[in-house]
Amino acid sequence: MEQRVFSTIGKVTRRKEGIARVTGKEVFSSDVTLPGMLFARVLRSPYPHAKVLSVDTEEAEKMGAICVTPDEVPQIRYNERQVSIPSKTYRDRTVLPEVVRHVGEGVVGVAARTEALAEEAVRRVKVEWERLPAVFDPFEAMKEGAPAVHEDVMLGDVRLPIKNNIACVREVSEGDIEEGFSIADFIVEEEFRTGRAYHTQLETKAVVCRPEPDGGITVWPTAQSIHNTRQLLGRIFDIPLSKVNVVRVPIGGAFGSSIQMNTAVAVCAALALKAKRPVKLCLTREEDMYDHCKYPSIIRLKYGIKKDGTITAGEMQTVVDIGAHNIQAYPLLGCMAGWFVSLYRMPHMHFHGTAVYTNKAPACAMQGYGNPQVSFAVESMMDILAEKVGMDPVDLRLKNYVGLGETFWGQGPTVRSIIRSCGVEEMLSKGKEKIGWDKRGKPEEKRGRYRRGIGVGRSFHTSGTGAPMPGEVIDYSTAMVKVNEDGSVDYLTALMCHGGGTLEAGAKIVAEVMGVPLDKVGISPSDTRSTGYDVCTHATRGVYCGGAAIKKAAESAKKILLEFASRLLEVNPDALQIRPDEELGQGVIFLEGAKDKAITVGEVAKTAQLKGWGTAIAVESHRQVNCPPCFVTNFIEVEVDTETGNVRPTRAVAAVDAGTVINPDLAAGQLEGGLCRGIGLALLEDTDYDRDTGELTCGASLVDYKTYTAVDMPFVDDLEAFFANTYEPSGPFGAKGVGEAANNCTAGTVANAVYNAIGIRFKEAPITPEKVLKALKENGAAKRRAERND
Amino acid sequence: MIEAEYVAPSNLGELFKSIEGRAERVKFVAGCTNVLPDLRAQNPAPMLLVDLTGIEELRRIEENNGVISIGSLATMTELAASEIIRTHGPILASAARALGNPLTRNRATIGGNIADASPAADTAPPLLALEATIHTEGASHAKREIPVEEFFIGPNQTVLNQGELITRITFPIPKDPSASSHIKFGLRNAMAISVVSVAVVLEMQGNLCHRARIALGSVAPKPIRAYLTEKELEGRKITEEVLESCAEVVKKEISPITDIRASAQYREHVTGVLLKRALWQAAREGENSTNGNI
Repeated sequence: MEQRVFSTIGKVTRRKEGIARVTGKEVFSSDVTLPGMLFARVLRSPYPHAKVLSVDTEEAEKMGAICVTPDEVPQIRYNERQVSIPSKTYRDRTVLPEVVRHVGEGVVGVAARTEALAEEAVRRVKVEWERLPAVFDPFEAMKEGAPAVHEDVMLGDVRLPIKNNIACVREVSEGDIEEGFSIADFIVEEEFRTGRAYHTQLETKAVVCRPEPDGGITVWPTAQSIHNTRQLLGRIFDIPLSKVNVVRVPIGGAFGSSIQMNTAVAVCAALALKAKRPVKLCLTREEDMYDHCKYPSIIRLKYGIKKDGTITAGEMQTVVDIGAHNIQAYPLLGCMAGWFVSLYRMPHMHFHGTAVYTNKAPACAMQGYGNPQVSFAVESMMDILAEKVGMDPVDLRLKNYVGLGETFWGQGPTVRSIIRSCGVEEMLSKGKEKIGWDKRGKPEEKRGRYRRGIGVGRSFHTSGTGAPMPGEVIDYSTAMVKVNEDGSVDYLTALMCHGGGTLEAGAKIVAEVMGVPLDKVGISPSDTRSTGYDVCTHATRGVYCGGAAIKKAAESAKKILLEFASRLLEVNPDALQIRPDEELGQGVIFLEGAKDKAITVGEVAKTAQLKGWGTAIAVESHRQVNCPPCFVTNFIEVEVDTETGNVRPTRAVAAVDAGTVINPDLAAGQLEGGLCRGIGLALLEDTDYDRDTGELTCGASLVDYKTYTAVDMPFVDDLEAFFANTYEPSGPFGAKGVGEAANNCTAGTVANAVYNAIGIRFKEAPITPEKVLKALKENGAAKRRAERND
Repeated sequence: MIEAEYVAPSNLGELFKSIEGRAERVKFVAGCTNVLPDLRAQNPAPMLLVDLTGIEELRRIEENNGVISIGSLATMTELAASEIIRTHGPILASAARALGNPLTRNRATIGGNIADASPAADTAPPLLALEATIHTEGASHAKREIPVEEFFIGPNQTVLNQGELITRITFPIPKDPSASSHIKFGLRNAMAISVVSVAVVLEMQGNLCHRARIALGSVAPKPIRAYLTEKELEGRKITEEVLESCAEVVKKEISPITDIRASAQYREHVTGVLLKRALWQAAREGENSTNGNI
C-alpha cells in the first residue's frame, strides 16, 4: 500500500548544509587549497575563428611558469558531456585546439606560483594566428560557401564530415501530417524566437587537480557528474579509472552548465600532470560567459484545429544556433520534439530540427533543456488558437493537454512512458481562482498609461530520463546506506545538490525509511572511488531517480537491521517496525501492541557490532523505468507602461505537480526562482555578438548582462506558489521532480499576459521595453489608419 | 595583475605629504566599486593608491546657514538615511537609494561617484538640479570651488587635476516653496546603470513655476542641465500642454547614444516621458520623489 502519512517527508526542516553556506564555511572548488599548489590561467583566443600557427612559451617558462600547448595535450577528440550512449555522441573538441572557433576559447594553459604570476606569464606567451573567416548567424552558416566552423567531427567512432555547418538534424513524424491539416477548420502558423541567455550561476567554473605519486590524479571540480568527469579524464589522459578520483565539491549553482565536464577541468589536469604539482584554475566571470550559454531557438510552429477546439495536427520546425561546439544538440532536438508532442495531443505531427554551428560561445543545457523555448512557442500559440476558435485559453488547454494514461516523451522519442499522476486540471482551476482569471478583461477594453493583463501558461518537465527500455540516454543511480553504532545513519551517493535541496531530500528519504530523526542522518562526503555510478544530477532527476536508489538502499539496510533486532526481541523481522523517537533522539524498533518488544536502533547496531553480526549496510543501483512529467502552471499578471514600453510582473501564481513534495519550502523556492528566470527569459535576458570582433556585446560582464533581482519580482504577498495534490506511483514516496519545470512555462505565460494587457502578440523573446514601445507605436498608427478608412 | 604602492593617510595633511612630487601617479580610492573593476579591465601602469577611508573629516554631512555640506566620503547608504539630505535634498537621497545594491551602497561614496564622471552617474542629476558646488583640494593645499555643471567634461572626464581631491560637495537649500522629483529608469529595479535619469527642482509661486532646474543623466556625454527646457517652463503654470512642449524642447538639448542598454531614439523618447512625469510629480506632490518603475 502506498504510504501517504510521513514522519519526515514533507516537513519543513533546517537544511543540513545551511549553516556552512550562510556562515561562509562551505568549501567550494575555488576554496580548495593544497600544499605546493600552483595557480593556472589560460591564454584565450581574441578571434572568433583562427588557426594557431605557432606558440612560443619560452619567455613564460623563463619566469618559472609551466605551460601546456595544443601539441602537448592528447589529441583525443571528445564530447565533454557523457550522458548519451557513445554511438549518439558527437565529438568535436580536444583539450586545447589548433583551430579556435570562438572568442575566449582556451589555447595555452599556464601555471605559476601565484595567479598574478600566471597572468604575467600568459602575457609573455606568443601565439602566431592565422585569422579565418567567421560566421555568426545560423542561416548564413547554412549557405553554400559559408566559413566552415568544423570540417568534420566524430560520431561515435565514425568520422562525420560537416556540410554547411549543420551539426545534426532530427526529424520525427507520427500519423499523416497532411491528413491532419486537411481535416482542420483553421490552420495557424507563426514563428517564435528566444534568446541566447547566459546561465549566470553564482559560481564560475573552477577546479583543483592533484597528480598522485602512482600516476593517478585527484580532481575537485565544479561538476554535476563526478563519474562522467572521471570517465572522460581517464579516457583523455589514458589513466585507469581506479587511479582517477573525482571528489564531489559543493556547487554554487549550475542551471545545467556543468552537466558536461567544464573546459577548465581538462586544461587544469594537463597542467597538473605536467607540473607534477597540484594546480588550481578558476575562471573569471568574463571567461565563464564565453564558456557556455542557453540554446537559443527559432521555432516555426503550425497547428491545425477544429472549430470545437480539437487540435488535429502540429508541425514544428526549429533551427538552433549551437555555437562553436556540439555539446548535446542531438538529444536536445529529440527533447524539443518530445516537449512538443507531450504538451498537447496531436493525432498527426511532424518535427524537424536543425542544429547549426557558428563562431560563438558553445550553447548547452540550461534549466529546461529546450522546454522553455518550445513552451514559449506552444503556449503563445495556444492563446492564438483559443482566440481563433473563440474559446477561453484555459478551456482550450483542458481540452487538449496530454494527461493521465497517455504517453509522455520524457527525453525525446526513445524515452516514452505512461503518465500515472497528473495535477493539470487541479492547478488550472485553482490557479484561475487565485489570480482572478475571469476578471482579467479583454485588451480592447483597457485604457490608460498603465495596462494590466493576466496570462496563463502550462508546461512540465521530465523527472529523469529513465524508461522501460534503454534508449539513447543513460540513467541510473547508486546509493549506500549504513546504520552506525549509536543509531545514526550515513548515506552516500554521487548525486549533486545544485542548491535545490537534492541531498537534503535524500536524507529525508533515508530518515523516513529507517524511522530515525532527520538530524541523525548524515550525508557522507562523496567521490568516485567510494561511490557507485550515478549518471548526472540533471534532467530534474535528483529526487525521482536518485531518491529512488537511496530509498532502495535504505530499505535493504533496514531489512538487515530488523533481522538483527529480531534476534534480540525474538520476534519475526517482518512484524517489526521503526519509528523516530524525538526524546531519545533516534529510531525505536518495536512490535505493535507489545510494550516489552521495543529497542533503539543504536542498541541493535551496537549489539550487532559487539556480537560480530556485522553492520546493517546496503548498496543498491537503481534505474527508474518511468519518466513522469512534473507538470507546472503559471498565472502571471503584468503591467505594461504604454509610454516607456516597460513590462512589470505585478502578481503571479506558480503551481507544480511534483507528486509528494519532499522539501516544501525548498520546492516553493524553486518555483519562485524558476519564475524569476522565466520572466527574465521573457523580458530581459539575451546575448549578442559583435559581427566584426566576435565579442559579446555585453562585454562578458554582469554589469550589462542582467538577470532580474528580488526587487523586480512581484511583492511577496502578490506571489503564491502551490503544489498539486498528487502521488506518483513510481516515485520514492510518491515524489516527482520540480527543478527545471519551475521555469518552463513562464516566458510563454508572460507573453500571453502582455497580449491580454495591450493586445499585441510578441513572438520574439526577450520582450524589451524598446520592442514594446515600437509595437505600440505601429499598432497605434495602424489603428488610426483603420479608423480613417472606416 | 595590479602593481601599486598603497598609502592610507588619516588626515588631509598626511595625505598631501604622502603624495608630494608623485601626484601624476596618484589614484584616490574609497569605496573601490568602480576602481577595482576598472583596474582589472585596464591592466594599468604602476600607481600610487591613496586610500581615503581613514580620513574622518571627509565623512560629515551637515547644514550651515542654509547650505548643505556633504563630505566626499559619505556613502550612498549614509546619504539615503541622512535626515538632512532627506529633508533638504530628497532627490539626492532618492538617487543614492537607486544606486547599485545594498552592498555597493555601503561602500560607494558620493565623491567617487562624481569623480568617476560616468554619463550615468546616479548622483549627478540631483547635484546638477540642486546647483551644487564641488570643493577640492590639491597639492600645496590649493583649494577650488567648482560649480557642478562645470565639473564634468565628457565621459569619465572632469576638470580635476592629477592629485586633486574632492573634499566636499555643497548645495544651498532650495528656496521655499520648492518641489523636486527624481526618476531613474533602468532595465531592472536594482543594480542597473540608468537608461535615462531625471532630476528636477522647481521653485513655485502659487501655481506658477517661478524657477526650474532640470538635470538629466545618460543622454549626453556627461550629465547635463536642460537650460532651454527650464526656460520653457519658467513663469508658466504646469499643464499637460506645457509638459508636452517641455518634452519636445528637451529633445533638442540631449545627444543620446545607442548602446547595449538602449537605442538613441528610445532614450530620446523616454527622456520626454520621464521629464513630464518628473515635472508633474514635483508640481503635484511637492517633495515626493521616486525611483524604479515609473
